[in-house]
Amino acid sequence: MGVQIEVPPFLQHLTNAMKVAKVSGNTVGECLDDLVKQFPGTQKLLFDTNRKLFGHIDLFVNGVSTFPEELAKPVNDGDTISMLYLIDGG
Amino acid sequence: MTAIPRKGLTINLSDREIKEEPVSEKVANDFIGGRGFGIYYLYRDVLPNTDPLGENNKLLLVTGPLAGTNAQAVSRWMVCTRSPQTGAFARSVCGADFGAWMRFAGYDFIRVGGKAERPVYIHLSNDTCQIKDADELWGKGTLETQESLIQQYGKNTRVACIGPAGEKLVRYAAIASARRTAGRCGTGTVMGSKNLKAIAISAQRNVQLHDPVTFKELVKEQIKLMQESKAYHHHTDVGTTTTHDITNPLGIYPVRNFRYGQQNGYEKLSGEEYRKFRTGNFGCYSCSARCGKIHHVSSGPYAGSHSEGPEYETIWAFSGPTDNTNIEATIAADQLCDDLGIDTISAGNAIGFAYELYEKGILTRQDTDGLELTYGNHAAMIELIKKIGRREGIGNVLAEGVMQAAALIGKGAESYAIHVKGLELPAYEPRGAKCLGFNYATSNIGASHGYGYAPQEVFGSPIPRPVDRFAEEENADIVIFNQHSRAVNELGICCSFAGLWGWIPLLLHKMLFAATGIDQIADPGYLRSLGDRIINLERAFNVRDGFRRKHDTLPERFLKEPLHTGTAPGEGQMIRALDKFLDRYYKMRGWTPEGIPSPQKLNELGLSFVLKDMPYQ
Repeated sequence: MGVQIEVPPFLQHLTNAMKVAKVSGNTVGECLDDLVKQFPGTQKLLFDTNRKLFGHIDLFVNGVSTFPEELAKPVNDGDTISMLYLIDGG
Repeated sequence: MTAIPRKGLTINLSDREIKEEPVSEKVANDFIGGRGFGIYYLYRDVLPNTDPLGENNKLLLVTGPLAGTNAQAVSRWMVCTRSPQTGAFARSVCGADFGAWMRFAGYDFIRVGGKAERPVYIHLSNDTCQIKDADELWGKGTLETQESLIQQYGKNTRVACIGPAGEKLVRYAAIASARRTAGRCGTGTVMGSKNLKAIAISAQRNVQLHDPVTFKELVKEQIKLMQESKAYHHHTDVGTTTTHDITNPLGIYPVRNFRYGQQNGYEKLSGEEYRKFRTGNFGCYSCSARCGKIHHVSSGPYAGSHSEGPEYETIWAFSGPTDNTNIEATIAADQLCDDLGIDTISAGNAIGFAYELYEKGILTRQDTDGLELTYGNHAAMIELIKKIGRREGIGNVLAEGVMQAAALIGKGAESYAIHVKGLELPAYEPRGAKCLGFNYATSNIGASHGYGYAPQEVFGSPIPRPVDRFAEEENADIVIFNQHSRAVNELGICCSFAGLWGWIPLLLHKMLFAATGIDQIADPGYLRSLGDRIINLERAFNVRDGFRRKHDTLPERFLKEPLHTGTAPGEGQMIRALDKFLDRYYKMRGWTPEGIPSPQKLNELGLSFVLKDMPYQ
């Protein structure tokens, strides 16, 4: 069954407008790695040059924030990963 | 238990009359505080066709019922007035401590009318209010003014003041407190027009709460939710210095006077680059996030520049419009604007406007006092800020804001004046973030991101539903949702960042009830409904002064010129369906096709007292 990633609007131009991507992995990090493997352009908007998840991205599994585990958070078959940019005016 | 009493202070600088005004139970129930009080009293006290810079205009400083408590991120304050930039309703929000100090002094609002014969300042303490001579302060920058008054009245004093720009009636002058400003809409210009240099409050910390025991428990819950939120930790770490890293790849970072949506070399201004200049943090009253990032330049032509900021909008204002990627220049520009008391967004726009006119040959070196306004020339940008603040040479024209400067310059300059209703645009390209674009068009204060920020299209929020950021009339409901959400948060007055920290939907209504004892607020549905009431009363204020559908528009550039985004998505986007959008937006709001709130709508919202002012025939 695998895991789904709801591709946020800010990444959809890099996933051929796909709004949901099917990925596999045992953790959120592994699932994102699979997303990047399928759509290499997404890497630049998810990770810094040291492969660290950007601080301005919040990840959710089934609607619940993964913070503070984030990439290490385990996932199960049928889970849905979503993400938000954490910005505002200023 | 009954609701706690609320009151304001009215000061007339013409006849020097000072009096307290209790807030009636009905007004407290219907408008709660913050922006609600701001528009209620402004509508009541500022008559139609009032000259924004005349003595009959009012300057309303308002804070919310949570200010001064130990709740987090809720002690903000705002200024409401009739704007000298737009002639419309103005609301400009500020942080730091002043909102808390207003409450410590016992007031929910301070309303200043009239005009002093000579420069004055107001000193307010727990038991006195005095109007004092400000000759010695006149001409001083905002930082020196504050230091001087705090030295005179002691460390329990906080100050809101104008700088030289407000004194010289630069049309987008700001009111500063600490290193924060109520920047937008020319609130500092109104203050300057009254010969009012500063308001200083000396007060001991004390706020009366309706139910302090419950309130204390709610604050504990609030802090727990914040600690669990990544957004809180992110804002604590970087403030908004990384927003630029996001808006450029999205193609919504306006460059060269809103011709492009992505800046070449934007990586030079990344959040990590700003971190290299950081020397400390600054926070508002009772907010542990301390999202203000202090930057210092230690070498090069801007050595010694020191600023609490720039934050995202100011980073953009001094990079995008002039295509500057020199980080030190953005810090220097921020410091200059803060001390002169100038809104950075409008200043950046005015300068970017001048750069484009120079490129087009409409302005020449003779017009610019010898400055070469070529893209990337940050030294000229810094000089222009100084000239605007002092109203010198070309600065005297640009100090009018782009709408009025274009009229003064002529030669087709109007085509390059990027504003809505006279207010210059913030750092989001409306063709690539169309909910924000339509919010600019319909906002009652002109082009403000803060009036209806669109988290759905910028960072993918699914609340109330996901949106396509290039869709137009289909998103009218989202624009309304966002405008209402902001209005409700500004009853508190809550920090806009707090919307990402998870506690507002769960706790705001409970906190407001525990603080005020107003029964209706305990119902979250009632609180949500207040957004509609506030927006409609603001709209009625504008309609009474002649604003109609034709004013709800966007600059021609966005309707006729395609956006260029480089490597980002959105290439070729334009606003194509403004009329269709307005039709749907007005219908959903219950407004006439001319954008006037209908009698049914006004009655439904408890605003029947404005019906007599509406031009339905």
